[in-house]
Amino acid sequence: MPTLPVPTFTQVVFVLIAAFTVISGLGVVVARNLFHSALLLAATFFGVAGLYVMLEAEFLAVTQILIYVGAVATLITFAIMLTRGAMHGETNPLNRQWGKAALFAFLFLVGLLGYLGGIPWPAPFQAIQADEGLIARLGEQLVTRYMVSLEVMGLLLMVALVGAILLARDDKP
Amino acid sequence: MNLSFLYENIHVLLPEAILFLGALAVVGADLLRPKDGDGRGLGALALLTVVAGLVGTAYIWGRPPATYLGGASLDGFALGVRVVVLTAAFFAVLLSMGYAPRITWQTGEYYALLLLATAGMSLLGATTELALLFVALETFSLALYVLTGIYRRNPRSAEASLKYFLLGGFASGFFVYGAALLYGAGGTTDLALLGQRLAAGEANTSLLWAGMALLLVGFGFKLSLVPFHMWTPDVYQGAPTPITAFMSVGTKTAALAGFIRVLGTALPAQQATWGWALAVLAVLTMTVGNLAALRQMSLKRMLAYSSIAHAGYILVALVPGTAQGTAAALFYLFAYGLMNIGAFAVVVALERTAENDVDQGGFRGMATLYPALAAAMAVFMFSLAGIPPLAGFFGKFLVFKAAVEGGWTWLAVLGVLNSAISAYYYLRITVAIYFDQAQAVPARNAWAGLNLGIALAALGTVLVGIYPSLWIALFQGLGG
Amino acid sequence: MLSQYLFILLFTAMALVVPVMAIMMGHLLGPRHPDPVKNAVYESGMETIGDTWVQFRAQYYLIALIFVVFDVEAVFLFPIALAYKDVNALGAGAAIFFILLLLVGLLYDWRKGALEWQ
Repeated sequence: MPTLPVPTFTQVVFVLIAAFTVISGLGVVVARNLFHSALLLAATFFGVAGLYVMLEAEFLAVTQILIYVGAVATLITFAIMLTRGAMHGETNPLNRQWGKAALFAFLFLVGLLGYLGGIPWPAPFQAIQADEGLIARLGEQLVTRYMVSLEVMGLLLMVALVGAILLARDDKP
Repeated sequence: MNLSFLYENIHVLLPEAILFLGALAVVGADLLRPKDGDGRGLGALALLTVVAGLVGTAYIWGRPPATYLGGASLDGFALGVRVVVLTAAFFAVLLSMGYAPRITWQTGEYYALLLLATAGMSLLGATTELALLFVALETFSLALYVLTGIYRRNPRSAEASLKYFLLGGFASGFFVYGAALLYGAGGTTDLALLGQRLAAGEANTSLLWAGMALLLVGFGFKLSLVPFHMWTPDVYQGAPTPITAFMSVGTKTAALAGFIRVLGTALPAQQATWGWALAVLAVLTMTVGNLAALRQMSLKRMLAYSSIAHAGYILVALVPGTAQGTAAALFYLFAYGLMNIGAFAVVVALERTAENDVDQGGFRGMATLYPALAAAMAVFMFSLAGIPPLAGFFGKFLVFKAAVEGGWTWLAVLGVLNSAISAYYYLRITVAIYFDQAQAVPARNAWAGLNLGIALAALGTVLVGIYPSLWIALFQGLGG
Repeated sequence: MLSQYLFILLFTAMALVVPVMAIMMGHLLGPRHPDPVKNAVYESGMETIGDTWVQFRAQYYLIALIFVVFDVEAVFLFPIALAYKDVNALGAGAAIFFILLLLVGLLYDWRKGALEWQ
């Protein structure tokens, strides 16, 4: 009689975090109140940060919390609170296309799982050493090989600063 | 530590640096100008920047291939993309000079964003690395989302901006996911290195194809190829017309440049696989674009669908994956830039600013009132239809020639058939301009920049058509 | 490696359990004698006028937009700061240029009055 595999502690934690992420993600889509969707979105962002931790990508996890939970979710919440009617009752837009959209999303999932399940995944090139300065190495790459990208990124953020204010502030004569 | 690598080959990015400094100068001048100033000088400053960018491009023309910090490359292709993008920007500034103050009081931001978008587009032609490709793509996209919605009193402009932003953000998601998978496949963001690892069999091809499929969706959106084209007519119609003119040429050139970089640098050996995918997309794009353009009443929507069809023609040149095809695509984009911006310039001249568009009644019998404008429009329409001896004809000729010589004769035949369909709606407009009874044709908008722009575009369309060898020689060596 | 996050996990669990417990206990153990005064929105306070869900001012949104951009900037600066002893002058130069770019954006917003509370 085959024995059931005993899940390791890491696996249990992963399943918990993954389930939390998926369920909150589903909640974002199906919640009937837009404000609840926004809060669940923040929960989803948290779950993704947890997954990054599981992948030992701490920098990404912190970034995820700092930017997505701390800033993007806040921004979305503000945007909803700007519109008075959006907070009460069934405010989440749900149109007649949702059935089709759900079907296509499901087919996409099946196709993706089928494709990704069948391919050989690359093995990690090398294991991460505990005391290795991974984030410092990222910083070094940022200012050497990817310096042009970094500065263009700054340009992009500048465009965002100018453009956002241009469109969002009151129209003066 | 030795810092000499920082300024080694820095001339690779000279045109972008000029555009960036110009944008800063425009923002600075705008911040310093007196409150009651009309900002007329800002347009001149922007125009000067674009011309300086062209001069910068000429300055680094013909230098040996070089790379700056492994991300940006100087080669013929990068130069060719810059010529097309900067030419489009030049005309866009000319058309905006009288237009921008009518639709917004924030003309400084208008020109600054236009210049930054141009810098992003021209950077896209030079980049050979996925991270920079994405950042450059986002820079010009973000600037264009804002510029699309800058006409805030017009609800259609706001709608267009929102639609463009939402769908564009969605497409960027596809793009970045695809780029991540490509990185996972080869362990590098450098396209040339990825190509080497592929050739050596070190890359994970399953991940590579999944990534390429996602990248195709991202690029397909920017290029408005057919299953991803739904946004194009609404955005082109809603955006301020000079921006539409710029977008229709600049976005296509930049996105195509990135696409060619990925396919030509990383995956040249896999042409047998992606060639078919591109061929199918090209046929769909040409046919759907032309058939939909037949039914449009609004001139801007018609030109939007026609631009979709033209993206299809350009795609035909890429299918064989040859250097000749790339050069043909660049020449086509240059010719298309002249004639398409010219056509939009005529829309600018005829539209009522509040409507931001011209419908059928807006140009019927226009020839009796404005003979010069009508003649220019006829030139653009003939050229777009591909009638010799205008620029559009030689563009199509080179594109289809590249396809035939690459062994894709059936594709070229379908392209020619599509040109025949398109001739119907282009010529219908010309006929309406010359032979219909004049209705209430609106007063013609005129400012020096607009008139100069129309004249230069018409002159260019004719000159490129009469002396194609000159321009073909210019773009011939740039395919590699 | 992962075990160092065990504390965070425990902390999260505590942070969830303690408040839930506190509310539950109050609910279970507390006496219940409802009357109109007790049920008022603010006990021994004023009745609220109008909807409690007020519409936020668009100004908050502008500030939030600017905040997001600088949040992203901070994230980019963090790894460069960690790498400082390897990249010193170069890293500092690149970071300063990066910050200057954003400073232009901030100057613009300031000059255009986006930071003023109207």
